[in-house]
Amino acid sequence: MEDMYHADRATSTMQDIKISAKNVQVHYGDTHAIKDVNVEIADKTVTAFIGPSGCGKSTFLRCINRMNDTIDICRVAGDILIDGEDIYDPKVDPVQLRAKVGMVFQKPNPFPKSIYDNVAYGPKIHGLARNKAELDEIVEKSLRKAALWNEAKDRLDAPGTGLSGGQQQRLCIARAIATAPEVLLMDEPCSALDPIATAQVEELIDELRQSYSVVIVTHSMQQAARVSQKTAFFHLGNLVEYDDTDKIFTNPEDSRTESYISGRIG
Amino acid sequence: MQSLTLSFLVIFALAIVGYVVARSRALYVADGDIRRLVSLPSQHALNVAMSTAIPPLAAILIFSLYARLTDGQVSWLAGFVFIALAVTGFALSMIGIKRETRARNLAERWIMGLLIFASTIAIMTTVGIVFSMLFETRNFFSQYDWRSFFFSTSWSPNFRGDSALGILPLLWGTLYVSLIALIFAVPIGLFAAIYLSEYAGPRLRSVAKPAIEVLAGIPTIVYGLFALFIVGPGLRDYFAAPMGLGDSALSVMTAGLVMGIMLIPFVSSLSDDIINAVPQAMRDGSLGLGATRSETIRQVVIPAALPGIIGAVLLAASRAIGETMIVVLGAGAAARLSLNPFEAMTTVTVKIVSQLTGDTDFASPETLVAFALGLTLFVITLGLNVLALYIVRKYREQYE
Repeated sequence: MEDMYHADRATSTMQDIKISAKNVQVHYGDTHAIKDVNVEIADKTVTAFIGPSGCGKSTFLRCINRMNDTIDICRVAGDILIDGEDIYDPKVDPVQLRAKVGMVFQKPNPFPKSIYDNVAYGPKIHGLARNKAELDEIVEKSLRKAALWNEAKDRLDAPGTGLSGGQQQRLCIARAIATAPEVLLMDEPCSALDPIATAQVEELIDELRQSYSVVIVTHSMQQAARVSQKTAFFHLGNLVEYDDTDKIFTNPEDSRTESYISGRIG
Repeated sequence: MQSLTLSFLVIFALAIVGYVVARSRALYVADGDIRRLVSLPSQHALNVAMSTAIPPLAAILIFSLYARLTDGQVSWLAGFVFIALAVTGFALSMIGIKRETRARNLAERWIMGLLIFASTIAIMTTVGIVFSMLFETRNFFSQYDWRSFFFSTSWSPNFRGDSALGILPLLWGTLYVSLIALIFAVPIGLFAAIYLSEYAGPRLRSVAKPAIEVLAGIPTIVYGLFALFIVGPGLRDYFAAPMGLGDSALSVMTAGLVMGIMLIPFVSSLSDDIINAVPQAMRDGSLGLGATRSETIRQVVIPAALPGIIGAVLLAASRAIGETMIVVLGAGAAARLSLNPFEAMTTVTVKIVSQLTGDTDFASPETLVAFALGLTLFVITLGLNVLALYIVRKYREQYE
C-alpha cells in the first residue's frame, strides 16, 4: 500500500504539468466553439486530441500558441498556463510565445525557399545564432531530429517545395524544432500523407517525446492509439474525456467516447 | 462599291434563308421525329448558314487584300464569283442534310476556324505594324546617317535640310521621366497593396480598392492639366526656385510625379491581386514560427509574389515609356540632355507627335524619323519585357 502510493507520486513528479487549461471558452462570432475546457497536458508526453470534425479540437490546439489571434472574429476566454504562466496575460507577446510553442500544420507548407532557408527561417528571425557556423549547426541538428538529414544533406540549396509530401512535412517539423520550442503542436500532421510517410512521421513523433511536450490532433484513432500516451476526446466543443490512451481505447468512462471509438458516432 | 454591297447582301440573305430552310429540311428527312437525327435541326441550320457565309466572306477578304481595294471598286465578275461561292456552299451543305449527318461536328469545325481567324488577326496586325515601321525606318536611314541618329546628342529639326536628329536627348528624357514616375509609383503602390491585402479589414478594403482604381480611369489629358496648372507651378515656387535649380514650370519632375500618380493604381491593383493569391498556409507557417506580420510579409509573402510584382512594375514601366500627354503638358517639348530634374525636357513619344503634325512632307527625313523613333521605343519595351521574363523565371520562389 505504502509502496504504491510512493510509486504514484514518483510518476506524477516525473511527468510535470506543462500546459494547463482552465475554463477555456472560444467564440467564433456567434458560435460557441469551445465550451469550458479544462485539461492538464504533461511534459515529455504525446497527447492526442480526437473527435469528430468540427468538435473544436483544432480550435483548442490553436489557442495554445495563440494562432487564433490572427482570426478577427475569434474570442478566447479562460486561462491557459504554460509552466504556470498565463499565455493570455497582456504582458505576453504572442509572437514570442509562438517561437516557444511550435506548430505543424495539416498540409505541409514549406516556404518557397531552399531547404536550408526553410529551417534557418525561425532561428534567423529570433537571432538564435551568432554566426553562420552556429546557424549551420542548428539547421543540421534540426534536420537530424526530424529524420531528414540523410535525405536532404546533399541538396540543402534545393527548394523545399521540391521534396515529396512526407519529406515536406518532416521539413516543416524541422523548421518548427529549429526555434527550440518547448511544446510542439501538430494539427493532423499526417492527413495529407501516404501510409509510408505517415509511419515515418509517427516514428519521429515518438522520438520527439524525449525532448518536447507534443500535442497532436488527429482523425485517425489508430494513430492516436499508436503515438500518444494521453488522449482527449472532444465532442461538440466539450472535452468529454481525458485519460491515459490505453484506458480511453479499452475502457472509456463516457458512453459518447465509447460510441466514437467503436465507430457509432462521428 | 455596288457589287460588293450587293454581294454582302446576297450572302447574308442566303445564309439566313439557309438557316431557316435547313431546319425544316432536317425535320423533313427525319419524318418529323428529331430522335431519328444524329444532330439536332438547329445544328444542321447552323452548319448550312456558316457553310454559306464563311467561304465567300473569306474570299472577299483575301481578294480585297490582294487587290488593295482602297476605293471599293469590284468588277461584276468578282461579285458573281462571291455569290457563286455562297450558292455552292449553300447547295452542298443542304444536300448533305441526312439523318446520319454529324452536323454538330461540322459546325464545331467552322467555329474553330472563326476563332483561329480572330487570333490570327491580332498577331498579323502586330507583325504588320512592325514591318511597316521597319520599312519606313529603312527609308529614313537611306536619307539620314544611322550613326548621327543613335549617337548625336542634339535634336533640332528644321526644313532647310540640315536637321540634327539625334535620339539621345529624347531617349534620356523618356528614361528620366519614366524613372522618376516609377520611383514614385512603385513603393507607394506596393505599400498600398500590402496594407490593403494584409492589414486592412474587409470593409475598408471594399471602399479603398475601388477608390484607388478610380485613379486609373482618369484620362491622361486631365492628369496633364493637373501637371500644367498645379504641380508644375507648385514645384517651381516651393522647390526649384528656392533651391536655385531653375524657374521653369515645365520640368521632368512635374511630369514624373504626375505620371507616378497615374501609375499607382496599376502597381497597387495588380500587386494586391498577386499578394492575395499567396496561400494562407504560407502566412500561417511563418506566424506559427513566431514571425511578426511584417516579417512574414517581407520574407515569405513578397518573395512568393515577386514574379507577379515584377510583372506589375514592368507593365507600369511600359505605360510610362509610352505616355505622351502628361509629358507634353508637364515637361514640355524642348529636347535637352540635362541631369537637373527641374528643367524642361521631352520624350520620344512627344517628338513623334510633333514630327507628324502640321505641314509635313512624308518623304523627308524630318518626318520619317518618327518611324525610327517608334521602332526604337518598341525595341526598348520589348527588351524590357524579355528581361523581366528572364528575371522572373530565374528568381521565382514557387509555391504550390
